[in-house]
Amino acid sequence: MPDMKIRVPLLLAALAIATSVVADDDPRHVRHELMEGVRDAAKPVGLMLRGEAEFDGEQLMQSLMVWQDAAGQFGGLFPEGTESGMDTEAAPAIWTDRAGFDAALAKWATAVDAAIEAAPDTLEAARPVVGPVFQTCKGCHDNYRISDE
Amino acid sequence: MRRTVRIGAALAAALVVAGWWLTRPQTISAGDLPVREPDPVAGEAVFWAGGCASCHATPVDGERARGDAKLRLGGGAELDTPYGVFRVPNISPHAADGIGSWSMSDFVNAMQRGVSPQGRHYYPSFPYASYARMSTADVMDLKAFIDTLPEVEGETPDHSLDFPWNLRRGIGLWKRRYLSRIPVVQFDGAAAEVLRGAYLVEGAGHCGECHTPRDRFGGLLAGQWLGGAPAAEGEGKVPNITPAAKTLSGWSAGDISYYLESGFTPEFDTVGGTMVAVQENMAKLTKADRDAIAAYLKSIPPVE
Ligand code: HEC
Ligand code: HEC
Ligand code: HEC
Repeated sequence: MPDMKIRVPLLLAALAIATSVVADDDPRHVRHELMEGVRDAAKPVGLMLRGEAEFDGEQLMQSLMVWQDAAGQFGGLFPEGTESGMDTEAAPAIWTDRAGFDAALAKWATAVDAAIEAAPDTLEAARPVVGPVFQTCKGCHDNYRISDE
Repeated sequence: MRRTVRIGAALAAALVVAGWWLTRPQTISAGDLPVREPDPVAGEAVFWAGGCASCHATPVDGERARGDAKLRLGGGAELDTPYGVFRVPNISPHAADGIGSWSMSDFVNAMQRGVSPQGRHYYPSFPYASYARMSTADVMDLKAFIDTLPEVEGETPDHSLDFPWNLRRGIGLWKRRYLSRIPVVQFDGAAAEVLRGAYLVEGAGHCGECHTPRDRFGGLLAGQWLGGAPAAEGEGKVPNITPAAKTLSGWSAGDISYYLESGFTPEFDTVGGTMVAVQENMAKLTKADRDAIAAYLKSIPPVE
């Protein structure tokens, strides 16, 4: 009887570890987290562009770095077998039109690199280089992301 | 016995005549139009507000038209609805295949009465029940703009609708019930900005066609105006955009206007689904018009 009591929680714990391991490594989970980080980095920059927050060059560079890093990882997170499940919002087109998806990704990376290169220190200087980064978010989602609802 | 039969026949005939009368297309004649020179430049703004390209632009490689392809109004998109499949017609200025040979009153009758030049009723999948609330001057400018667009060849095949939806005459009854030029939301002394927003949302913008639930005849439920609805095509839901909406209640008027301009939500996620094309159109309006739409959405009755 005491044995049993211990075994059940142990089993539950093992199960919890097992599922969390699977979920954490799963590319569907990783790419979802990655895009949430991308979004969180977009908010302070977007508020600057809207004129709702003071321009902050350091914050802008931080966000650009987050995007550069994400753009480097993102392409490797769509292996066969992760087309569906786990509420993924990845569109089937990523697998049927991989070249187009890679081009959208490259466009994003190029826009981010150009903005880092420019290192703008005023809002006026930031607008023309950061605007295209935001455009590429939308451009890629339009073709390669679906709504999970 | 003979007598009852005869009365029955007379009654039936009267009903047919009444039905015919009730369902007859009602039109505007050329003489009723305001006397003015239509302005194609003003018409372009009406074109984007009205979202004509979202349905009438010819798809490219099976995908919705983007960029300049939105100006090629050859039709051909399919709307898959519970009533059957509608195939959107060519409204480019091509004389034979499009509407190039139409008179101004033909166009106004289509847009505001839902009646074709041959006197047939259009299906409300062409959202004229909203366009009826546009000013006749705006509709005239719109035609002048469409006349400047590329002529596109080719007629689109007919709709494939289920009975009884395949009978156009019945639409006459539908119109008696749902076609009206009276504003949906009655404001008492609202600011000019809110009224401009009402004009754009309830008229050209036809936002209610997606965001308002319908009754079983496909008419919009005015009591749940913009309260969210199942998507007309495919699965999914179109969100509530009244002040009681779960998401939109947390957005300021500035947030709404920025979303319509940029496609970014206040959390900096991007617009999705069928709203993408609408947002791209809204981005082409003036900031004052987007602000007016936002002011209107903040002023309408909340729908829980
Ligand atoms: C190259 C294509 C591409 C680019 C560029 C891109 N995204 Fe994404 N994004 C995706 C895909 C694909 C998904 C869906 C991932 C999934 O669910 O598997 C996604 C998902 C998201 C999500 C939803 C995450 C969640 O919570 O489910 C957000 C938010 C987002 N992206 C924001 C952005 C922002 C902001 C930018 C620009 C700074 C951006 N994205 C650039 C492809 C892209
Ligand atoms: C939601 C999709 C949709 C939108 C938006 C839309 N239409 Fe249409 N339109 C249709 C459909 C479907 C028909 C066919 C109706 C029928 O056959 O009864 C149609 C028919 C027409 C016709 C009649 C064509 C003919 O050959 O008889 C005209 C003119 C027209 N639309 C103009 C416009 C204009 C101008 C706009 C923008 C202000 C517009 N439409 C927006 C779906 C749409
Ligand atoms: C063709 C259908 C359609 C039409 C027409 C339409 N919408 Fe939408 N709208 C949607 C869908 C679908 C969404 C959800 C978008 C998403 O999931 O990102 C949406 C989202 C929105 C949102 C964001 C709400 C939220 O909770 O995320 C606003 C604001 C909005 N629409 C306003 C409008 C206005 C204003 C108009 C008229 C000018 C309009 N819509 C016309 C389909 C439509």
